[in-house]
Amino acid sequence: MAPTPSLPTGMKAAPLPVATRASMLLRCLAIQGSWNYEILNGNGIGFCVEPALRHLPGGVGGDAYREALARQCAYFNAHPYLASLAVGALARAELERTPPDRIVRFRTALCGPLGSLGDRLVWAAWLPACSLVALLLFGLGLGPVGVAVGFLVLYNTGHLALRAWGLGSGWLHGLRLASALGAAWLQRGPQYIARGAALVAGIALPFAANRAIGGGASIEPVPLAVMALTPCLAFLLVRLHGKVEGWQLLFGLLAILVFYSTVLH
Amino acid sequence: MSLLLHRIDDRLIHGQVVVGWGQPLGLRFIVLVDDDVAASDWEQELYRMGVPPDVEVYFHAVSDMASAIDHYDRDVRPGLLLVGSVDTMRRLVDVAPSIRSVNIGGVHHADGRVQRMRYVFLTADEERALRALEARGLAITAQDVPSTRPVSLADVLAGKPDA
Amino acid sequence: MLPFTLDLLPLVLLGAVLGLDVVSFPQAMISRPIVAATLAGAFAGSPAAGLVVGVALECLALETLPFGASRYPEWGSASVVGGLIGTRGADGALLPDPGAWVIGVMAAIATAWVGGWSMVQHRKLIARWARPRLEELAAGSMRTVVSLQVYGLTADLLRGGGLTLLGLTVAWPISTWAIASWRLGALETRGVLILGAAAVAASAVWKVLHGYSVTRRLFVAGLAVGTMLVGFRG
Repeated sequence: MAPTPSLPTGMKAAPLPVATRASMLLRCLAIQGSWNYEILNGNGIGFCVEPALRHLPGGVGGDAYREALARQCAYFNAHPYLASLAVGALARAELERTPPDRIVRFRTALCGPLGSLGDRLVWAAWLPACSLVALLLFGLGLGPVGVAVGFLVLYNTGHLALRAWGLGSGWLHGLRLASALGAAWLQRGPQYIARGAALVAGIALPFAANRAIGGGASIEPVPLAVMALTPCLAFLLVRLHGKVEGWQLLFGLLAILVFYSTVLH
Repeated sequence: MSLLLHRIDDRLIHGQVVVGWGQPLGLRFIVLVDDDVAASDWEQELYRMGVPPDVEVYFHAVSDMASAIDHYDRDVRPGLLLVGSVDTMRRLVDVAPSIRSVNIGGVHHADGRVQRMRYVFLTADEERALRALEARGLAITAQDVPSTRPVSLADVLAGKPDA
Repeated sequence: MLPFTLDLLPLVLLGAVLGLDVVSFPQAMISRPIVAATLAGAFAGSPAAGLVVGVALECLALETLPFGASRYPEWGSASVVGGLIGTRGADGALLPDPGAWVIGVMAAIATAWVGGWSMVQHRKLIARWARPRLEELAAGSMRTVVSLQVYGLTADLLRGGGLTLLGLTVAWPISTWAIASWRLGALETRGVLILGAAAVAASAVWKVLHGYSVTRRLFVAGLAVGTMLVGFRG
């Protein structure tokens, strides 16, 4: 491909039209649609940035557009929700005609921090927290609609807000994204959410277990046995961390139960 | 405690490192060895944003590590050493022979690399470098997260399906 | 016999959509077991029993950290299988039939494990499809970018549907046999199942959240309060 003609660099990008921003946000929901082991999420980033690139000189199919799109489709990986920060920042960098080598270096350096922050904030904090709140709602007696809708509304309030904030913040800060990543709520958020989730977990598990067993008196032999043995089994699972997953152990336990109940009993 | 894992991962600090390994190992510090990052303040700032506030990150060029490795080996806190490429690890072992094991956590697709596992792609030079490290007595395994089984270098190079 | 009628089609579609939600689109967590199994139970006419099956599976899913590049169980389509099998014989009751519940959870675990494998294959398939088109990507072809995305999404939808169909096909006759042959009392069966699920959830909370100070103490304190409150209520 021919190099980009001498277009001005370092210019300030004009605000993106609402339709373009909406399109980018919608595409961000499908950012992992082509995730693969070679370019990981690279194509997804290109797919999400693409609506903004149409505003480059020459429009769709122009040299600037094609060069930028090619750059954005190279290897990339990050947490899917926080990747919207990268999408916003990279769109701005391209529209401001930042030198390509600077964009590439910035893009590469973003992968790790956005992955790490997102994994800590969402997969290891927000998702388990919402899941535990749903278990608590179940334990407190809510029905199927209450529990499922309660979980979905709570989780997606955070989910969609994070994606929308990411896109807006990325665009706002451009290559100075580190200041957005340094926000106290983002840095300390996982810690506070994890503390809340731990407390909710402690309260939710006995309630949920009691209701799932049948909601009878907890002084009866079966609920008492469950209450006494659960910490022992949990302790064993913690000790076996990295060797056996909980679902593997439960599958084995249930296989024995099936054999006992259908063949031996 | 000192350095519990010496990892090759071209994504450097990311979720698998900070959460996947960091939480079960109780990591309190990460030593990131990379000549480019060690010379770049803004990249260091970005990488620092990726770790929890109670985890320290130290940046070094390979050449610094000859003197620094002993300091980290004696640290009472649990730590992890991270490099971005096989070549960096090879050069690091030359200056820091106390490293006795290497974890391949992620070497991804690039021109000239052949896929060996779902997260390991290697050039012929990289294969040779890993074999040479193993011949020097280092234990080399591939394992992206603790919940998967470590795969020996022989199995990685044989392209055996990973866990 | 598995009802190979039009009744099956919505469930396979549900499994496909929820399988898609896990990674590809829109990751709104409608694929979480507590939602997915409830939906499957609702399809079978027993949403409350589906929710209970979903609660057991949600406890297992707490352990799964879905890091993009690693392999992990796929709970979306699996929970549709578990929810449907687990609510067999419930007939609108609040709790699942004990035998069906056990087989439903086992079917979901097995499907989730195969689902994890199928996600790896899906990602390899996209890479294989992308490889001959890398030059077009490097030339900035919008058509290639969009088609790769659409191809991946479509393949994932089919993966989820196929996985659901496979899970139901295998688990249905097993559950028929298990429900008919189940001898252990309902309370004892539920006790063993909840013991296992709660232990997995507790260990997951311990492992996943322990990276932060005081979280373990908060968990133990919450556990003490929760256990006392349940005891008083009982």
